[in-house]
Amino acid sequence: MNRTHRLGMVIDPQRCIHCAACVVACKAENAVPQGHSRNRLEEHEYGAYPSVRVVMAPSQCMQCDDAPCVRVCPTGASYRGANGVVLINADDCIGCRYCIEACPYGARYFDEESGTVDKCTFCSQRVEQGLEPACVATCPTRTRVFGDLDDPSNTVARLVASGRVEVRLPDAGTKPKVYYLRGDV
Amino acid sequence: MSATGSVDRRTFLTLTGAAAAVLSTAGCGRVRKFLRGAPSPSEQVALRGSMTDVFSICDNCVNKCGVIGRLAGGRLVKLDPNPHFPKSRSMLCAKGQAGVQTLYDPDRLKHPLIRVGERGGGRWRKASWEEALDVTAAGLRKIRDQYGPQGVLFSSSESFQERFFRTFTQAFGSPNSVRHPSMCLSSGNIGFFVTYGTVPEFDIEHSEYVIASGANRFESFITPDTVDLAANVREGRTTLVYLDPRFTATAAKADQWLPIRPGTDLAFYLALIHVIVTERLYDRAFVAAYTHGFDELATHVEPFTPEWAATETEIPAERIRAIARDFAAHAPRAVIYRGRRSSWYTNDTEMRQTMAIANALVGNWDMKGGVVPNEQIGLGAPEPPEYPFPDVPRIDAIAEHHPLANVDDGAYVELRDAVIADTPYPVRGWMIYKQNPMHILPDRRRTEAMFRKMDFVAVIDIVPSDSAWFADVILPESTYLERTDPLEEFNSPYPFVGLRQQVVAPLFNTRPNLDIMQGLASRLGLSAFFDFDIDTYIAAQLAPLGETKSNLAKNGVWSNRSGRTYGATRNAEYRFRTPSGKIELTSERLRRNGYDALPQYTPPTKAPAGSLRLLPGKQAYFTHAANQNNAWLHELCPENRLWMNRASAASRHIADGDLVIVRSPIGEVRITVWVTERIRPDCVHLPHGFGQSSPALRLAAGAGASDQDLIESHWDRISGNAALHDTFVTVEKA
Repeated sequence: MNRTHRLGMVIDPQRCIHCAACVVACKAENAVPQGHSRNRLEEHEYGAYPSVRVVMAPSQCMQCDDAPCVRVCPTGASYRGANGVVLINADDCIGCRYCIEACPYGARYFDEESGTVDKCTFCSQRVEQGLEPACVATCPTRTRVFGDLDDPSNTVARLVASGRVEVRLPDAGTKPKVYYLRGDV
Repeated sequence: MSATGSVDRRTFLTLTGAAAAVLSTAGCGRVRKFLRGAPSPSEQVALRGSMTDVFSICDNCVNKCGVIGRLAGGRLVKLDPNPHFPKSRSMLCAKGQAGVQTLYDPDRLKHPLIRVGERGGGRWRKASWEEALDVTAAGLRKIRDQYGPQGVLFSSSESFQERFFRTFTQAFGSPNSVRHPSMCLSSGNIGFFVTYGTVPEFDIEHSEYVIASGANRFESFITPDTVDLAANVREGRTTLVYLDPRFTATAAKADQWLPIRPGTDLAFYLALIHVIVTERLYDRAFVAAYTHGFDELATHVEPFTPEWAATETEIPAERIRAIARDFAAHAPRAVIYRGRRSSWYTNDTEMRQTMAIANALVGNWDMKGGVVPNEQIGLGAPEPPEYPFPDVPRIDAIAEHHPLANVDDGAYVELRDAVIADTPYPVRGWMIYKQNPMHILPDRRRTEAMFRKMDFVAVIDIVPSDSAWFADVILPESTYLERTDPLEEFNSPYPFVGLRQQVVAPLFNTRPNLDIMQGLASRLGLSAFFDFDIDTYIAAQLAPLGETKSNLAKNGVWSNRSGRTYGATRNAEYRFRTPSGKIELTSERLRRNGYDALPQYTPPTKAPAGSLRLLPGKQAYFTHAANQNNAWLHELCPENRLWMNRASAASRHIADGDLVIVRSPIGEVRITVWVTERIRPDCVHLPHGFGQSSPALRLAAGAGASDQDLIESHWDRISGNAALHDTFVTVEKA
């Protein structure tokens, strides 16, 4: 990429059907080890039979602008990289796992094999090649939209500007760049 | 929200701040340790440098989506959706993504195996292809000599290379073939066929009003219809009315969920027709021009009032009236959606026929957003020599018992029982291609008895399935990522041709089915039927199009269309392939074959006291019992759980996570319970495909329980399709 972007994602829970295509696509793309996942499926159930409602949505690293994981990292292994994406430099990670504790979204995991922490990178290896992140590219119901938050013509930027979005745990003050479309709009 | 249990999706607002539990994947168990088959993270990163792309087609379910295989250093590192592929467009589901593990599964079949010791004992030795084919050919020859060619049964499920198995079956001269439709969709096919003279498609992309009975497109099967329906429902372009005793993911997205009393969908559709007729909501011009038998239908549905249907279905009469009016108001951009698997009840064909009739009444035919006929491009094929004509009837006497069913597909439950009983003649050999009878048929003990009846069993598969476990010879096929297949013609959303081409060379000593069939044919003097290789076969397919394979290889797709066309059958000259030449609201084809021309209602079997109806069903993470051993899919749902309504669990003192014993008249299983609000109190649900027993499937063996240990052997009267929803069980704490 030849200029700086602020990459972000908008997730539409009303489209999500919990098919887990994103979970497996991420697993394949990033060779995520057994027992861990960079994408989680969250399910919220309300009511009792026969008046049941279920809301489904994926959750992941929120790519916070004010990321607690970066703040607590003692070695600088967790850092904000190009395009605003929070990344981990495995060579500098000492496996102290402070970042796992600090993340209010439970988005990070400890890879026992490498002894380092890992999480969603917005598939930076794909984005560099002009591809969408694996979870976005494969989603059968187009639950996820990905793009440059600073480009007003981009769908992501337009959705965020529309005021139809919310973030998870807004009180945590982490300024996530993964947004959720509200269900009432 | 109404007292009837239907939920208006749009009354639901926002997630944040709502008090709710965050659940893990519902109704699943604990993950087993698995071996890493795919490239490790460090390998993956290193391989990223120089990637090449190969366009091909998925085979992890029947849907066949377009994929791009991304290769680095000769290894497949990722599958992505092929955006050029008109059917699947830019989507690939969990199973499709897990294709990398299908290839690198450490448990897959890697070389031919010959049984040592007793059948089912699980002792094998490696064999060369020469020896394995010699042994298989000798086994088939011996049975042919002793019992005639009808002494060998040929079972297969759909695959682009299944046609070669069919060729071999016909060349061998056995009338006894059996495929999956009588465990799946044959009643739906016949119900629509007798009405339209064809088995149509549904233009979900443009439909404004969709009624679906148990067609669980957001949970059981991810297809292009899933894509279109999800977008249209979200954007308010489509109203989805969903009938199901279970609150599935489809129910969660539907505008109305109607928890219908199981087995009464036919009553609902009869009442829908009653309203459409009595309120004159039907398309009068269309009915007059294109249909046959309206008056007889109108008289027939007189007694089926919404009030009558309300007592059967537990859906209020006013709701049925409202749906009938909405449905007619949106016609022709409205469909009663057929779904896929229709192996439910013993009157299933009639239920599907009723859906077909209601669609026709309001003129939802061959118009944008309605029920639409299939179109074809028309590929060529090499001309085979004339097949021998079997001079004995099929063992399942399907032509007699189910004259409207596809003869070559067979009626599996009856066929199995005839084989076990040796009536009217012995069948002692069994060739199985890409099929797992131990899991597709109800009552596994009966299926095992059928295996034990055989003198010789050969299985062609990619994994050591429970059925392969009972084989004498296992012939390992190359996976779909390791072979080039004949071209396949697709007809949705419009006709196009797709190419599955080899993504990587075979990793192990496996062969494509064509090579296996040729190897057997040459040993049995049948080579004349296989006078081609895959390249000349494809060239013959392409001849009418004037195309070349290398052109298709560029993006895996060929078509001379760019979209669906409508209306070709809407002209006065067109003759539908029905006895009357019209769409038959009253079926002359059924009448000619000795059935009622109009659907009769039979109420569902009553539950014995204290019993619950067992509903089987699929999760889209798996295709039947085919990929529970895939490491990435295993992780999504390591084992199934029994869905049980909170109230019925409480009355039995059963708590969530308890181990229970489920008993049916034919067997029992032990399984963990998932107590949930998402099912009617008079039903339980056990997801299909678990409880596998082959120890060679290290992740799947012994995980969960099989519905086929509980389900009784019933079938639909007209089609012979299995009736898998007609078994009652008791549940008690273990």
